[in-house]
Amino acid sequence: MAGKALKTFTAPLGKDNPVFVQILGICSTLAVTNNLKNTVVMVLGVMFTTTLSSFTFSLLRKVIPGRIRMIAETLIIATFVIIVDIVLRAFMPEIWQQLGPYVGLIITNCIVMGRMEAFAASNPPGLSLIDGLASGMGYAYVLVIIAFFRELLGSGSVWGFPLLGDWWTNWAIMIMPPGAFFMLAIFIWVVKGRSKE
Amino acid sequence: MSKTGFYAERIRPVVVTAVLTAICITLVSAFYLSTQDRVKENEGLVLKRAVLFAAGLNVPATNQGINELYESLVTEDNGVFTVKDTSGKPAAYAFIQTGPGLWGEIGAVIAFDSSLSQFAGVDFISQNETPGLGARITESWFKEQLRGKVPPLKMNPEGTESSAPSEIDAITGASRTSEYALSLFNRAGERAASLKGGN
Repeated sequence: MAGKALKTFTAPLGKDNPVFVQILGICSTLAVTNNLKNTVVMVLGVMFTTTLSSFTFSLLRKVIPGRIRMIAETLIIATFVIIVDIVLRAFMPEIWQQLGPYVGLIITNCIVMGRMEAFAASNPPGLSLIDGLASGMGYAYVLVIIAFFRELLGSGSVWGFPLLGDWWTNWAIMIMPPGAFFMLAIFIWVVKGRSKE
Repeated sequence: MSKTGFYAERIRPVVVTAVLTAICITLVSAFYLSTQDRVKENEGLVLKRAVLFAAGLNVPATNQGINELYESLVTEDNGVFTVKDTSGKPAAYAFIQTGPGLWGEIGAVIAFDSSLSQFAGVDFISQNETPGLGARITESWFKEQLRGKVPPLKMNPEGTESSAPSEIDAITGASRTSEYALSLFNRAGERAASLKGGN
């Protein structure tokens, strides 16, 4: 059991990573990673959602009839996402404004529903919670790394603090959508190149 | 089809969906209602901060400071905020101007000097522009460049930093948002001119 829990936890961080192996959740990976602060808030929202959605769905998996499975999944995800949205709006209004529609779009993040379908539907709540959390973390660290480089090269700053001096010419393309494609591709290239497979 | 089969196949999914929906709605409503006051207060503060910033004042760091400064200097009449200087004379007029954006409406507080012919400043209170691109209208360089400019404005590429009285810089990668912001500013300019006529 402990072995399975550990395996469940480490897989999404490495060989089954949702972003660079399964290529899921790309929409938000591309959209929000031009600024580290927004990215961190976004990945916390996704981690919260995917952890609790998987856990809740796993708890209810025997109560929910198979034919309404997806309706139930969507409802559960939407509930947690709207809670994230409301909490951000009340306590971090500035970041909420900057993230705009992307918080609501966590609902459509394939990682969340994908983990519920592929794992939580057929595993006990404890393991599903670990799987949800680890998938969220697997998503989170990739985004944070991409956001770090995009903000550094695109705005010359990290977390809003200017890091590169006046001599640095901002690479505007890094904070535009093409920059996200380049960074993600380079990330996948580096990771795949390092793995022995 | 047996009776239990009918129940399991047709009724139970509906019942489970209804119950689950009710629980989800209750949860979301509870969160919404319990944070409602805070959200309202935030929105009030956003407006006050925007009026003070647009008028060119130093915005206090604390919420209490913002409330106090606002109470002492700003009066609102018919949607027009009059910002007085310390001697009590009107130093700037501000109003809320809304207009279309790329994804949704853009709302801004736009302030003019006491003659209503120069921009005193701008602050955005609501926008849904693309983070990192259009949302850069909220960055300070974009807002600060408006101070002292004379409407109607025209736009240069980002980085031009023209000192001409009616030119501002656009945002690279956000041409549409920049155009929307420009027309928002210019419509505010027309509105200011009409206020001047009324005075």
